[in-house]
Amino acid sequence: MKTVSLGAARPSSVKFRMPTRDNLVPIRVDVEVDGQRYRDAFTWNPCDPDSEIISFAKRTAKDLKLPANFVPQMLHSIQGQLAEFRSYEGEEMQIREKIVPLKIDLRINNTVIRDQFLWDIGNLDSDPEEFARTLCDDLNITDPEVGPAIAVSIREQLYEIASQSVSAMREAARVSKKGRRAPEFASNSKAMNNSLDLFKYFGSKGSVVRKRKEWYLYEPVVDVVTNEEVGVTDATEEINSRCDYEPLFVGFPLDLELQPKTIVARNA
Amino acid sequence: MSPPVAGAASSGDGPPGRPPRELYTIPASSGWFQWDEIHETERRALPEFFGGAGGSGFGTASRNPRIYREYRDYIISRYREDTSRRVTFTEVRKALVGDVTLLRKLFAFLDSSGLINFSASPSRPEAQQQQRQTEAEAVVEAPVGLQVTPRPPPSYFAEEKGGGGNENGFRLPPLTSYSDVFGEWAPGMAPICGLCGMECRDGNTQILKGEANIHPGDKKERIDNHSSSAWTDAETLLLLEGVLKHGDDWDLIAQHVRTKNKSECIARLIQLPFGEHMLGTVNGKLDNRLHKIQTTDGKVNKSTVKESSSQPTETVDDMQIDGNEDGADKSVEEHPTKHRRLFSSIDTTVSLMEQLAHLTTSTSPDVVAAAADAAIKALGNENPQARRAFQLSEKEYQTRAFSSNHARQRDYCSDDVGGGDRDVEMHGHPDKKQGKMFISTTYQVRAAVATSIGVAAARAKRLADQEEREMELLMASIIETQLKKIQYKIKHFEELELIMDQEYATLQQMKSSLVDEWQKVLKRAFETGVPISRDEVLIKLFQNKPNL
Repeated sequence: MKTVSLGAARPSSVKFRMPTRDNLVPIRVDVEVDGQRYRDAFTWNPCDPDSEIISFAKRTAKDLKLPANFVPQMLHSIQGQLAEFRSYEGEEMQIREKIVPLKIDLRINNTVIRDQFLWDIGNLDSDPEEFARTLCDDLNITDPEVGPAIAVSIREQLYEIASQSVSAMREAARVSKKGRRAPEFASNSKAMNNSLDLFKYFGSKGSVVRKRKEWYLYEPVVDVVTNEEVGVTDATEEINSRCDYEPLFVGFPLDLELQPKTIVARNA
Repeated sequence: MSPPVAGAASSGDGPPGRPPRELYTIPASSGWFQWDEIHETERRALPEFFGGAGGSGFGTASRNPRIYREYRDYIISRYREDTSRRVTFTEVRKALVGDVTLLRKLFAFLDSSGLINFSASPSRPEAQQQQRQTEAEAVVEAPVGLQVTPRPPPSYFAEEKGGGGNENGFRLPPLTSYSDVFGEWAPGMAPICGLCGMECRDGNTQILKGEANIHPGDKKERIDNHSSSAWTDAETLLLLEGVLKHGDDWDLIAQHVRTKNKSECIARLIQLPFGEHMLGTVNGKLDNRLHKIQTTDGKVNKSTVKESSSQPTETVDDMQIDGNEDGADKSVEEHPTKHRRLFSSIDTTVSLMEQLAHLTTSTSPDVVAAAADAAIKALGNENPQARRAFQLSEKEYQTRAFSSNHARQRDYCSDDVGGGDRDVEMHGHPDKKQGKMFISTTYQVRAAVATSIGVAAARAKRLADQEEREMELLMASIIETQLKKIQYKIKHFEELELIMDQEYATLQQMKSSLVDEWQKVLKRAFETGVPISRDEVLIKLFQNKPNL
């Protein structure tokens, strides 16, 4: 019985897309013009025509009262990221059950949130936005920017994993042109690195109920920092970014008073 | 299945559902829930765990029914540790290994079905400042039916008692004083009717707004409860007055008498020694009206006929007793309950003929003819004298019996008799007729009686036939439906068989391909000369293969 149930997890392959229900691409913009800095993160529907990008950039600049010379930079940034996404789009992506731990470590305005949870890359029904909303509801986070930021962060990680597996396959296919066996193996070995050992928890002997002493690892931690602390962390982040060190998942600094942090262009 | 370890450890009382039993409130709509089973509802709501949308198959490593139950049991036990506290997804998911998307879906399902967070206080202290999602709040509100039934409002009980037991079932009407209700009332006695002052024994007491207890009957006919009581002289007088004033509109008469109801008034009037006279004079002026509104409805016809039937009593007082008796018997047979008031009045030839006529209008002439024929024949056999009498007046009799038109004519004829000029013509007009048919009257009466019985029987037969046909039709449709059901079942089974066959075929294929492969491997091994360790299991498998 067990072998049958595991054998049924036959990977099906689809064209590359975000491994979520809504095929929305996370976009992170970090533009600096004339000493002013604009950082933002949002999701973009890759099916939308590219003409939307320019109007979006113009609109954003206008709403935030940014100088007009921000627009081409924003445009460039967004287009670049979308182009990268589209470069994968033709590729085959294997959809199989693969549960990976995702980490959240964000500071949004005055809220610092750290969290870790398991995410099934193969679940094309997943909805990071909904998850983030539930999380904020459960934790009583009132800041409306937190949820979208978490969702974007999740999407970024999913995007990275998905694109990695695709490029790994591509790479492997180039190296060994024998057929499908090799790339599959390659992607498998790569995926095994960070994905969960399914048998450990889901086998007949394991239990899906986590041990109590591990709870803290998968528990969200929320801190509210004061404005002074925000200034300090901002400064360190600033230094870090100057040093070309990319902190994994940074929230949004306050230097530009940006309101529309996340624009979900779902139906646009 | 091992119980959720952490859950059991953290909840002091052990997993719910095992002794000691505790009661948890869940909505009635979630009554399907059982600890050791997975219900169809769950399969439908969360097909992921049961092998995709179809719900068939075994799922995958991290999604299968066993995992589902572990998740579900843990979440529910977690909630039941403290049912007054709302359990959130975020605190549940830290203790569960698995895809959070899937877990969230499961959590949302349990939440919406009320298996968790049902009795939880809707507002956590810290949640008040925050706008919760509407769906979450909707869950907290009690759904339509609860398994633990809430106590209904007190009025509910009062009504229940009032309807069920007549002894103690009553409550204070809104606008009554204590003495109104309790004045003569003692426990064990029925409530007292506010209008008639009698005890309410029928259990139908209703409390009307602004009124004391009133028998339901009192509103319409206020004398329901006095049916057995005797008539006083004053009441009789009132009755007579009413009859004179209102004719035979018995509703109005009953209202006039006030203390007796309609049927009692009628019965009483008939009991009176001069009842017929009264009715006769009264009917005199009403008969025409009554006959004008004759409809094809047999009942109306009959009742009008009967009312008019009592009037010509005097004109045919030379009737023989046996005929009267026959008539009376017949009417008893025909209308055991209705128009009881008329039994005591003496039926006459004319009325019998009229009844016959009305019966003929409601049946086909052929039937009547046949019935009459049969009746006359039987009478003739019984008594040769009767045959002669019939032969004499056969023509007239037949026309009367057979043609409904003629019968109607006779109707109107008798109306004339009962009309206002009754006094004048009472002895003249009927006498002419009587003179003609005097000899044969007795036999005619008997023949008429027999005929009408025959007609009635024929009608009954026809109705019975109709019913029978209908029953057959219904039976046929039932059988047809059953057959259809069976056919569907057969079809279903055939499909299942087909699926089984296909599965079997694929299995066989797989097996043969395995054998081939194994053969190939062996062959290659032989060719290369590599020694292969004997695999007992595989060999056994292949050895068994031809048997399968």
